[in-house]
Amino acid sequence: MEDAPSDNQPLRILIADDSDSDRLILKTLLRRLGHKVLDAANGAEAVELFRQASPQIVLLDALMPRMDGMEAARQIKTLAGERLVPLIFLTSLSDADALARCLEAGGDDFLTKPYNRVIIEAKINAFNRMRLMHETLSHQRDLIHEQNRKLTEEQEIAKRVFENVAHTGCLDAASIRHHASPMSIFNGDILFACPRPDGGIQLLIGDFTGHGLPAAIGAMPVAEIFYGMTSKGFSASDVLREINQKLKRILPSGMFCCAALIQADFALNQIQVWNGGLPDGWVIRTAAEPVQLPSAHLPLGVLDATRFNAAMTILKTCPGDTLLFMTDGVMETRNAGGDMFGDNGVAAALRGIKDGETPFDAVMGRLHEFSGGLLEQDDLTLVTLEMADGAALEGLSDRLQLSALEGPAEWRCTYQIRDRTLGQFSPLPLLLHICMEVPGLRRRSGEIYILLSELYTNALEHGILGLPSEWKSTAEGFGRYYEEREKRLNEIEEHFIKFSLTHSMTDYGGRLVVVCEDSGRGFDFHKHGQPPEAGRGYAGRGLMLLHRLAGPLTFRERGNHVEIVYDWHFSEAGKSENPAVTKSGVSHE
Amino acid sequence: MNDRPHLDEEALAELQDVMENEFDVLIQTYISDSAERVSALRTALEAGDADALAKTAHSFKGSSINIGAPRLGALCMDVEDAGRAGRLADAGPMLDRVESEFRQVQEMLESFMVD
Amino acid sequence: MPIQTRRSEDGRTLTIKIEGRFDFSTHQAFRDAYEHGDQEVKAFVVDLTDTTYLDSSALGMLLLLRDYAGGDNASIRIENCNSDVRRILAISNFEQLFAIH
Repeated sequence: MEDAPSDNQPLRILIADDSDSDRLILKTLLRRLGHKVLDAANGAEAVELFRQASPQIVLLDALMPRMDGMEAARQIKTLAGERLVPLIFLTSLSDADALARCLEAGGDDFLTKPYNRVIIEAKINAFNRMRLMHETLSHQRDLIHEQNRKLTEEQEIAKRVFENVAHTGCLDAASIRHHASPMSIFNGDILFACPRPDGGIQLLIGDFTGHGLPAAIGAMPVAEIFYGMTSKGFSASDVLREINQKLKRILPSGMFCCAALIQADFALNQIQVWNGGLPDGWVIRTAAEPVQLPSAHLPLGVLDATRFNAAMTILKTCPGDTLLFMTDGVMETRNAGGDMFGDNGVAAALRGIKDGETPFDAVMGRLHEFSGGLLEQDDLTLVTLEMADGAALEGLSDRLQLSALEGPAEWRCTYQIRDRTLGQFSPLPLLLHICMEVPGLRRRSGEIYILLSELYTNALEHGILGLPSEWKSTAEGFGRYYEEREKRLNEIEEHFIKFSLTHSMTDYGGRLVVVCEDSGRGFDFHKHGQPPEAGRGYAGRGLMLLHRLAGPLTFRERGNHVEIVYDWHFSEAGKSENPAVTKSGVSHE
Repeated sequence: MNDRPHLDEEALAELQDVMENEFDVLIQTYISDSAERVSALRTALEAGDADALAKTAHSFKGSSINIGAPRLGALCMDVEDAGRAGRLADAGPMLDRVESEFRQVQEMLESFMVD
Repeated sequence: MPIQTRRSEDGRTLTIKIEGRFDFSTHQAFRDAYEHGDQEVKAFVVDLTDTTYLDSSALGMLLLLRDYAGGDNASIRIENCNSDVRRILAISNFEQLFAIH
């Protein structure tokens, strides 16, 4: 047991000298100084005494019979282990080589004969101070180790809690490849993916300022908002606004989250991207040059709600196109020469993609090569999303949590939004939520969402805004379409869209009737009398989907009143194949 | 030439001060130890064991210096050096000198005790 | 000293000059540089002539300065950025919040 560090305590001192008279002198001298002395007449005895009594300071004669001082010194230092036991050689040696050998054997200093009382006292005191300092340092080091162990343990728990909240969602989907260390959350990196009710995916990749727990804490509400809103069908812009507002409120100023939010719509083959402070994202195209998606916004948590810009960049994609995003850790990866990987590294990796190689493997491979195998994997996050063909993500919405409660069976509701609200607010999550109260519809959330969303988009973009869907068939027109949409949305006056939902039970299950009316000029529904042929481009694809999903699709009045009947069967309510629908067709009244 | 004093009176006085009433025990210990060492030196020389000669002379040197007998210490060092260098032929006369110096130191120390 | 401050002759502009790395290690010094100024200071200049590197915690510190200097009404100019530093400011779109020269 170690004594508490204190300067004036008597010490246990071991002396070893084969000369009886010398030993007697030294022993008496040290006792007079108040210390407790253990004495040995040779090296072997000294080692044994050291083992038994663990003295705090050792004085050893260099030349002794039965194990000399040097060998005893080595053994004593080994026994002492991490403890600092000052070891002073007693010697009348005069040549430098012999003195040097004493130090090499583990000696800390010499005392030469004849002994000088003053010098002995001074040396003992000096070495005792050193010993105490070492003890204090060891003690503090042990405390730090212990603290560190606790911290690691806490991080491990925090990580598990975090994983429950910020589960990886659908990062395991076939279209997604990613690199993210399980501990990367403590570097402030986040990566979430969540299926949308319409079968699309929202992806959030981000990088909080700072490291450790403070960086991880901000990720919790982000995950909650992201998963909660995405699975309910909220648009990327809505999710962004909500996250930004939350972070702005809870994070200290100076802390924020560089992030990119991507909404992939496989049915329309388009992606919407928002990049605030992350390195350039990329779309690697199967049949064209890659497109860069630079940061166009301030990071999340910087601006207040009124100044925050959640405008998405919309891009048309082709099946097989791949989206790539990464955190700053990729840029900052260094090679042996200290150079950073940077934008050039990413661009070079993408240029060098070999046949059959994915962009993900190309960039990761290049990173490994560049860092010479010293890649700090904890500090970087990289994700790719391949634009899969149409229905590649069928069934993902099954993962949405089901409520165990029985829901309403017979009900009707009407919801109307008007004027400016048309441009600012999507009624779809709310309407979907209402439908999802019916247990029989819950498994159909994807189809219900598509149904509502197609009706809404049709009413808004064609009915009210009067945008010709033909525009979307060319790349230039595609851009023009969304520009014009934005512009006209800001000018809406005296318009409305009204949804009427009616649900009732039938013998075989239930029936949901959705009526969507708008205040627009309407359109010549006779021209669309037959389902358009598949593969004719985007235009009309929405209507085609409706035909496929639901039963009788009825246009009334001047084409601005559409009714859809959606039937579901008890027997199939729990499965995820196509629902039982009444025979597809269109009737005109 | 060895012109050191037989006894260093100052060192002895300090030892006396440190040892207080154990001083006599110290002197007796030194004298009996040293007598043993003188005969050990003889034995080593006769056996032609240069290493034992050097080691014993080394210890003898140390304790002599410590007790305040610098001239004896210096003579022991001569024997130690000769032993280490294997010059056993030189060591014989040196040993004689050590022996006679020890007798003198012994006498003086004994008288010191009586004082 | 990695951080030096200078007041304009009329006392209304405080220039903060950062040498070397502008990262978390300069946190306290950077705060001290502007917090101990008096009420007379109306405008700030952050001089990055000798700044070799800037990380996201430095961006955070700039936001703190902006808050301190009046948020949306703050007058802060960031001057003499090298290309690396400028790139980082650009990615984060800080030109929306600061006058960057």
